[in-house]
Amino acid sequence: MNARTDTEFREFMRARWPAMVRLAYGLTGDQGHAEDVAQAAFARAYASWPRVRRSGDPDAYVRQIVINENRNRFRKRRVAEQLTDSALIDVPWTDATRDYDERSALMTALQRLGPRQRAVLVLRYWLDLTEQETAATLNCSVGTVKSQASRALAALRQAADLVDGGLS
Amino acid sequence: MIIDDERDLHERLEAAFEAISPRPAPVDQAVRGGRMIRIRRRAALAAGVAVVAAAAVFSVPALLHRTAAPAPTSPARSYTVTVQAPGPGAQPGEIATGTINGQRWWVVADRPGVDGASATQQDIIIAGPAAGAIGGNISIVPVLSTADSPGPVSFTAIPSGTAQIQVGAVRADVSYVTVKLDDGSVLTVHPVTVYGTRAVAFALPAGAGIADVAAYSRHGEIGYAVPFNQPRGLAWIVSWLRPGQRQAARASGRIASGRIASGTAGGQAWSATAYLGPWGICIPILDPQPAEVACVPSVPAPVVVLNLDQGGAPEIAAGIAAASVARVVVTQPDGSTASVRLVTVGDRKFFVFVRSGARPLRWVAYDRAGNVVASS
Repeated sequence: MNARTDTEFREFMRARWPAMVRLAYGLTGDQGHAEDVAQAAFARAYASWPRVRRSGDPDAYVRQIVINENRNRFRKRRVAEQLTDSALIDVPWTDATRDYDERSALMTALQRLGPRQRAVLVLRYWLDLTEQETAATLNCSVGTVKSQASRALAALRQAADLVDGGLS
Repeated sequence: MIIDDERDLHERLEAAFEAISPRPAPVDQAVRGGRMIRIRRRAALAAGVAVVAAAAVFSVPALLHRTAAPAPTSPARSYTVTVQAPGPGAQPGEIATGTINGQRWWVVADRPGVDGASATQQDIIIAGPAAGAIGGNISIVPVLSTADSPGPVSFTAIPSGTAQIQVGAVRADVSYVTVKLDDGSVLTVHPVTVYGTRAVAFALPAGAGIADVAAYSRHGEIGYAVPFNQPRGLAWIVSWLRPGQRQAARASGRIASGRIASGTAGGQAWSATAYLGPWGICIPILDPQPAEVACVPSVPAPVVVLNLDQGGAPEIAAGIAAASVARVVVTQPDGSTASVRLVTVGDRKFFVFVRSGARPLRWVAYDRAGNVVASS
């Protein structure tokens, strides 16, 4: 990589870092994990930066890496989770004061979803990807996206913290 | 809070995520990590090249078109495809863009010998939702060239998601290429020059068949090819015919089947079938999924042995023999010797055997009188 493309990558990363951390945060529910995932994704993007540029959509490329990185993270965690029979995320998200405001309630409800359902919600309803784009990003069928989104929305609607919390 | 509509959810997610204040971008750490990945990748690539070099001893690279095939898909029933040359402002190396059922794809060639490719290779980047690769898939292929091609266009078939991509190097006298699909529609593709090579590309759903491909100069048709449409897989464009040239008769037959006993593909069932026709000779390994296919336009030698990888190591080999060959004896890398079973399909004889290792093997072919007609 020459100096020009190196500089280009650095500018790209500075500009897109907050968005990728937020995407990873949506997937992981933990800001520390999110920053780790995003940093690993940008490192992979740097390793293939000429290809990333030629893909025509670097943002989509790095977004895909973030999702893959997060998926790998879950694979590594699965054994520990099975041994402890704990929740999918070891430490439920709470804010520093443990006050359940609307944001924490939503994030808690998100963390109770499976990783695939959470990813579908984040891509479809935060990034506003189409069902086709979401399916391509998650490497699944459009039908899976529809069914996962439907179940995830139903789960959110029934989440006690959201329904009964008087947060609206 | 009740999530009563998608817009509401979007706004709540936006508020939740925007409240996050990430630490400053760790650019230097990411760059260092990326450099380490590149170093590890090059080391892994060097190890992979050694395996390929060992396998090439047995094969006939000049004749052979082969690749791992995509996961099986249902045959494409109804589809609409488009293709167009890159427009103004296209990125360097872009060969073509188009759509499958309204979803976009594009194909970009990298400069030969860079970014992980050896001096005789180049990266082909396939991107777009139609190719199942919003962020782009990379395939390393032999450098696009017509130097060893028997026809006006030398195609490489690349699986990508639920699509198949055909990328071809085009001879200087070709003005355009037509692709007649199995649904009767016709694509017209015009070559573009990328890194000194004239090239075309188009994309189809995996399982969609190609009836024929024709190349035209300014003066008329130069030649045409009838591809081998691999069941549930790719279309293989291998042999070219002159306009009006008589097509070879079609024939197919199961050569052998079995189950690999050990190795990286241990326990995996396989079956090999030979397909002869105007495309040449193709031998896909099937059962239950298309895993590998080898195609040759013709077999000038009495015997040709092809490697058919199954699961990584070269564990299955297929042979094509002239009708005059009565017996083939193979000496495996471990020193064991056995006559292989010959199966006649069309005007050729075929055999398949499981290799006992990746090192070179030897074979001897005999005619009915017991005379040696060929050996390795």
